[in-house]
Amino acid sequence: MRQYILKRLLQLIPVLLGVSIVVFLLIRLVPGDVVQMYVGTQVSPTAEQMEELKRLFGIDKPLYVQYLDWIWRVMHGDFGVSLRTARPVLNDILARLPVSAELAFLSLTFALLLGVPAGILSALRRNSVTDAISRIIGIIGLSIPDFWLATLIILFASRYLTVLRLASFVSITASLSENLKAMVLPTIAFGLGLAAVLMRYVRSSVLEVLGQDYIRTARAKGLAGRTVIFKHALRNALTPVITVVGIYAGYLLGGTVVIEEVFALPGMGRLALYAIYQRDYPLVQGIVLLVTLAFVLINLLVDILYVLVDPRIRYD
Amino acid sequence: MKTAKSLAGVLILVLILSVSWSGQVGAAPARGGNLTIGVDQEAVGLDPNLVTAFSSVARVGLMYNRLVRYDNDLDIIPDLAESWEIPDNLTYTFHLRKGVKFHDGAELTSEDVKFTLDRILDPKTGSPALSYLAPVKKVEAPSRYEVTIRLKEPMASLLSVLASDNLSVVPKHAVEKQGNLQRVVVGTGPFKLADYVPDNYMKLVRNPNYFKPGEPYLDSVTFKVIPEQMSLLAAVRSRNLDMAAISEGGIIVQARRDSGLSVEQVPSLNARTFGFNVTRAPFNDERVRQAVALALDREQIIAAAEFGFGQPTGPVPASAKKWALPVSAFPSYERNIARAKQLLAEAGLPNGFAFSILCAASYEGGLPVAQVIQSQLKQIGVTANLEVVEWGAYIDRWVKRDYQGIVELRGGGADPDRFLYRMLHSTGSVNNFLFKNAQVDELLEKGRSAVDYKTRKNVYDAAQKLIVEKAPVIFLYVGNENAAMQKYVKGFNVMPNGALYYLEETWLDK
Repeated sequence: MRQYILKRLLQLIPVLLGVSIVVFLLIRLVPGDVVQMYVGTQVSPTAEQMEELKRLFGIDKPLYVQYLDWIWRVMHGDFGVSLRTARPVLNDILARLPVSAELAFLSLTFALLLGVPAGILSALRRNSVTDAISRIIGIIGLSIPDFWLATLIILFASRYLTVLRLASFVSITASLSENLKAMVLPTIAFGLGLAAVLMRYVRSSVLEVLGQDYIRTARAKGLAGRTVIFKHALRNALTPVITVVGIYAGYLLGGTVVIEEVFALPGMGRLALYAIYQRDYPLVQGIVLLVTLAFVLINLLVDILYVLVDPRIRYD
Repeated sequence: MKTAKSLAGVLILVLILSVSWSGQVGAAPARGGNLTIGVDQEAVGLDPNLVTAFSSVARVGLMYNRLVRYDNDLDIIPDLAESWEIPDNLTYTFHLRKGVKFHDGAELTSEDVKFTLDRILDPKTGSPALSYLAPVKKVEAPSRYEVTIRLKEPMASLLSVLASDNLSVVPKHAVEKQGNLQRVVVGTGPFKLADYVPDNYMKLVRNPNYFKPGEPYLDSVTFKVIPEQMSLLAAVRSRNLDMAAISEGGIIVQARRDSGLSVEQVPSLNARTFGFNVTRAPFNDERVRQAVALALDREQIIAAAEFGFGQPTGPVPASAKKWALPVSAFPSYERNIARAKQLLAEAGLPNGFAFSILCAASYEGGLPVAQVIQSQLKQIGVTANLEVVEWGAYIDRWVKRDYQGIVELRGGGADPDRFLYRMLHSTGSVNNFLFKNAQVDELLEKGRSAVDYKTRKNVYDAAQKLIVEKAPVIFLYVGNENAAMQKYVKGFNVMPNGALYYLEETWLDK
């Protein structure tokens, strides 16, 4: 097991190097460079001024020199400074990461608390009214785009839920209760879709397990219905659900952009969005590298979780 | 008896009116309190001489001062300069206010003004304002409170240039110590930077040493960045914000329906334009451009793209009232399909033609405007294909002049020299239509070198008519600058250039 984890961690190095090259080139391939975005359309500088600006932004050297220069410093923990704000990239990212992580964590918790019981209930009472209702709600939750749901929630809250904080974020370290007041609505808007996905996965997974021979055997042995479901069925039904949660957890961290925009949360999604708009190369590169790292680590965590849930899985 | 009764009634009415009247006007501004204002974009850097993003410029304008500034009628008024003289059209002498203090306590002197202008003029600084100051030869500081600017060639819009927030005066000692002021604020303005968490909030507090006695009234101003227009309005409605600057017409419609809020709107200085690369066929033929101009209906465009909030404009933004001509002065503003078709036939295109319009989905990129133009041009047999690109790609194509037609939002200046010379003189720095016309050049040069208002007005009247006739770019309309606020917010004026200067006079009546 320890060896397996070590191996996975070593695999991280080529993955991160590969991603760093791809993102470095991709962001520079997009039409429009940082100097043009900086100058905008209201001013037309002379060629000399453009050269001077390129030098100021550090993009006057050949590409491979820029890359090696950057990656060398990243290896030493220096992600450079934002071209637009002159603030250190790493500080900016670390300041935003907790907001996105909190939103992802709350939404995931919300989705698990809502989706898993609903899925189980639906499966156990297959083809009942409860099942029909939760499936309909599930389909709706899947089909509604989160930006639209978020807008509706805001419209509603601006009239009837004025105790909550709308588009005025307070950090968790400043005040937990005020922070939660600001996070309730984004959590619902973001978590509802995921709850629907989870509910459908749990339902089909539980249904599949309930049809297995060993469940029939367990029942035939005369075990109580409760024991059959909690000890035999659910534990086996959980493995595919963990896979889904793992994939979505990575996605949640990177997919908060829309919700952060609508609810004006100062998270990493927005930081990334504006960095891309403005072609702020070091910032985009830094964010992509760190999100990649987080994504890979979360996947590793999921693989380890499998072992805990299902003793049949071993990594030797 | 009856008359006495009605007389008494009138008296009571007068009494009531006078009481409520005095309540409205006579109430002295109350001091104190915090005002939270929502804006849709985060500032990008804070060095007034370096920033280009409008969001940065608006905030810098509260923390620094310029030599002169605009008021909300777009007249130049004193700011750091108490008075000035223009002995000839190459020399400008400014007398500074005495005792103005930077936020760190140091006194502002002519050395700081000279340092600021020299800093902008140095290409190594990379200031976007450098091109505004191209005709400046030399800046002198003959005494502690006197600054003289000498020009190589006349530029009548120098005062207008100096009123730009990009020319805010920075302290020499702080720049020399810090390198630049992108992250620290050492200004002379009504507010000081207290706390800044990017993409969340920026808190400014009252500058107790501000040179206008008693101002600002507010203890603090807090900026909140809320990118979504809908969320901005929702936050005002739920009183999470005291006011918000709103740009989308549809949201303004909703805000105006809300009786609990007050909405202030003024015509903007930014002009919506539809321009051509006049070196590319078929728009190298001025008859084709005129035909397109005749096929457009500006009111329809305003109704569809701006929810009716805007007014048609000529080459000088309609909001710059001192210089703008009424649109009735331009014959081609009356839609005339028959004449347009005739012009196309004369140009050898009796069956119309197809071309593409470059636009972007952002507000500046004007996609809805391009859509209306597309449908209006169908009536003269012209097929417009829309090329909707991402903003970065749009700027890239703009810089390379790589388009046939383009929808733009042109940041207007209150002085026609500043706006038109750069855009339409054959050597203009943002003449990306590649338009060259000797007569237009001559008029723009005349308007630049004359100082007297009457002479200049005549020159620009002629220039505007000629530009509309040659149609290298079709001036469509100016939109509105809007603010939605709580009723207790008093003393704030929305400015045509979107500046927030009036926050220094704003107070809370609650």
